[in-house]
Amino acid sequence: MALLARKDDRPQPGALSRDPRVGDRSGLFDDRFLKTLEHLHMVSRKVFAGNLRAERRTRKVGSGIEFADHRTYSRGDDFRYIDWNLYGRLDKLLLRLFEEEEDLHIYILIDCSDSMAIGTPPKMHYAMKVGAALTYVGLANLDRVAIMPFGDRLLGRLPPSRGKNRIFRVFDFLRTCPLGGQTDLGEIAKQFVTQNKRRGLVVVISDFYDPAGFEAGLNTLRYHKFEPFVLQCYDLREAEPELHGDLSLVDCETGDTREVTVSRSLLEAYSKEHERYCKELEEFCTKKALPFFRTHTAIPFEELILRIFRSGGFLR
Amino acid sequence: MTFLGPIPAATLAWVAGIAAALTISAYILKMRRRRFEVPFSALWKRVLDQKEPSSLWRHLKRLLSLFFLLCIAGLVLFAALDPTRGAANHDARNVVVLLDASASMKAIDGNDDKNDDKAANPGKTRTRLAVAKERAKLLIDSMGGGDLAMIMRMDGQTTPLGRFSSDGPMLRRLVDAVEATDTPADLHRALGAAADALRDRKNPLIVVISDGAFPVEQREQVRWQPAAPGEKDLAAIDLTGIDVRYVNVGHRKDNVGIVAFNVRRYVANKAAYEVFIELENFGDTATQRRVSLFDGDLELFAETDPGKSTLDLAPHTRVRKIYKDLPAGTTGHLRALATVPAGLAPDPFPLDDEAWALLPARKSQKVLMVTADNLYLEAAVLAYDNIVPSKITPAEYAANPAQASDYDTIIFDTWAPAEPPPKNAIYFRPDAAHSPVAISGELPRPHITDVDKSHPTMKWVTLSDVNIDTTHVFAPDASKGESVLASSVRDPIIVAKRDSGHKYLVFGFSLTGSDTDQVGSDLMLRVAFPLLLVNALDWFAGDDSDLITTYATGVRQRVPLDGAVGLREANLTAPDGVSQQKAPVLEGLATFYADRVGVWKLSAKFPDGSELPPLELAANLANPSESTIAPIADLTLGGRKLTEPEAFAITENQRLWIYLLLGVIALLGIEWVTYHRRITV
Repeated sequence: MALLARKDDRPQPGALSRDPRVGDRSGLFDDRFLKTLEHLHMVSRKVFAGNLRAERRTRKVGSGIEFADHRTYSRGDDFRYIDWNLYGRLDKLLLRLFEEEEDLHIYILIDCSDSMAIGTPPKMHYAMKVGAALTYVGLANLDRVAIMPFGDRLLGRLPPSRGKNRIFRVFDFLRTCPLGGQTDLGEIAKQFVTQNKRRGLVVVISDFYDPAGFEAGLNTLRYHKFEPFVLQCYDLREAEPELHGDLSLVDCETGDTREVTVSRSLLEAYSKEHERYCKELEEFCTKKALPFFRTHTAIPFEELILRIFRSGGFLR
Repeated sequence: MTFLGPIPAATLAWVAGIAAALTISAYILKMRRRRFEVPFSALWKRVLDQKEPSSLWRHLKRLLSLFFLLCIAGLVLFAALDPTRGAANHDARNVVVLLDASASMKAIDGNDDKNDDKAANPGKTRTRLAVAKERAKLLIDSMGGGDLAMIMRMDGQTTPLGRFSSDGPMLRRLVDAVEATDTPADLHRALGAAADALRDRKNPLIVVISDGAFPVEQREQVRWQPAAPGEKDLAAIDLTGIDVRYVNVGHRKDNVGIVAFNVRRYVANKAAYEVFIELENFGDTATQRRVSLFDGDLELFAETDPGKSTLDLAPHTRVRKIYKDLPAGTTGHLRALATVPAGLAPDPFPLDDEAWALLPARKSQKVLMVTADNLYLEAAVLAYDNIVPSKITPAEYAANPAQASDYDTIIFDTWAPAEPPPKNAIYFRPDAAHSPVAISGELPRPHITDVDKSHPTMKWVTLSDVNIDTTHVFAPDASKGESVLASSVRDPIIVAKRDSGHKYLVFGFSLTGSDTDQVGSDLMLRVAFPLLLVNALDWFAGDDSDLITTYATGVRQRVPLDGAVGLREANLTAPDGVSQQKAPVLEGLATFYADRVGVWKLSAKFPDGSELPPLELAANLANPSESTIAPIADLTLGGRKLTEPEAFAITENQRLWIYLLLGVIALLGIEWVTYHRRITV
């Protein structure tokens, strides 16, 4: 009888919950994982052979060998670079500029806030694996890769390093880095741009569940000449939760409580709203020409990596 | 709309309050929400904000659920009030139907009744009770919507068969279940019970459905007005304000019945007996009856001896007959039967044509006298029939005590063995060391001042002039089954004892004295002495000539149980051999109430597991008032003539509780569906 239906606080089958093992990351990066990374690296070189070089041209004008532009000579410039041919034709002192070749800086920002602890397996573990894979590929391509987990602030920093042998430091760092806090992308971006002056690719791996919105953070990166690479990660049951009955919903980060009576129509509306939110993020990235990938934890991370390789943007 | 439920309004208010509180508590529990963690509540907020306009409806849906629950509780309580559709009938009555189920209602004259449907009931086999049941059911069928009735069975006891109800089919079933017993009706008790049941009820009415065979004294113990101050007629039933009506059934009165039947042995010749039979003709015409006497299945009178067995009975006369010198039979169950000679009308009331009596089994006793030489004792024993005497000296007995088991009774004369014999025994001045009853001292020249005349051994015995030299004084212990039969002032000198199935009679004095102890008495010279011995031997044999061998049905009687020390309860088996009932035992007396004519069996187990020897009890109607089956058309109670009841006012009557319960089930179904379809959550 409905009146006497038993109520308890046990999670409903199929419902989301915080995985109590989220803090245990000892088994995340084992030998098998390393072999997978090596395989991914080989595949990436095969697929993108000829296009992939460790070097990367930057817009920085410097001491490279490839001509980039001219500019008017000013006192103090090295007159070895004065284009004398043009001076003969135009009677103007113009200086030849060359593109400077430098290593690419890749910054991997991994969301370790409380919301990433939810899911089975926790989204955070998935994000760390993806971050580690991208780091490995970057290191193998002789890029300088730095890793920074974040919550409501940057929770740590693995300084930029290069070379595949650095991957074990990466693993250790990801196993031991602190976790928790609320997502605050705007504040994170400010901290990031303050601490990192070398421009580069900024891979943001997060669920982008920021009450203040994701736009401010990404824009801050853009405005400071970084190239954000957006990777949204979510759990399928976040998008389509299997809930019913009278519930008191508690935000795992803010603690906000909301009493709801979950009905089928409400679940459908929520699913639509979740999809709309993801679309907003995607449209924002598209509009700003930011590479964007959306994935959920049911997709094997190596499949995601290959998808990223195929679409380009991460490796050039 | 009327409410027939038995629940008072105040009680119902309490129940309603508690039910509402429980319902709301259950609703609150149901509404208690589980906490659930989500990664991003802002999304839920957006969704819920969009749905906010419908929140009022959502609240209403929840309230709808509470409303369902409260409706369910309310409907159940409303059903408990037993509402009835139809106009309230303020003339509705509370009726107690006293249905006579006494023995006279077994009279077979149903179809001759003037109101009986002869076409529907051919033949003349219906009893008065069957007709009374029809009348009761007609009465029930005529009940109005507000009328309430209670059925009471009236026989030797009064038994309410249910509570006040207007449920016609249920009342009819109760009436159908009534069976007549073999007891006379106790109108006084029944009227008292009915008056008590009707106390403080509106429009009380008692309907007596009977043939009116009640004793006059019962009919007069009624009061129609409140007792005046100082009036002390406590026995009268107060019927103030109660309308008492009477429905008469039956019409025949030509009954002849056995009103007394007894048997007794001859004191001098225990092997023979005589029976006493008394028949009464309650009719207005002379008639004849043939009396048969059976010992078990053996008929004692020859059919060819009409002069002995056929009796002429004048109208309203009693004929007493004593049949002498009847031989002892085998079963001891004597049955007298009065049958109608050929050519005469059948007897309408067969129940009192049969009567039972019991004749205890009788056998000769082997008596062993352990005495040096006592002619007085031997002569007294020889004077009794059915005795096979033997005599040995104390030395011979002491040499072989086991020989006692070959006898029924041992008499020790001024001597006592070291161990009491495993048989019944009489001791005259036993040795102090071997006395079966403790001795507290010696008393010279005693005078017997007190005798327990109620004891079987002391019947017809006078001991006041007995001269005694010296006697032991006993210290009897009632817990051991010892009782004082005779004492000198306060000193017991003759004691009886019952011990594990054996009986002892112990005299503190000697008859003639012994060689070493020349103290005696002149008891053996008294007339009382042989009588005392005969009584003692009869007591040993369980043959008490004063034993009531027949009991009247419908009367609570106390039956003495021989040797029932420490017994609290006995089992009674009805004459049919199947029905069992318990009989409480107090101080050796079992309470016996017979509601069936015939031979009852009484048995009991002692706490130590041993069994009391089975006792048989004969129960007869033996009630001339009940055998007077002539119906009384005009019954008068306390000087007031009772009239027949009119049919009750018929009103439209529809019980609603079943519909209310159906509504509850429907609401439960709706609530269940809406809850599980998440509509009212």
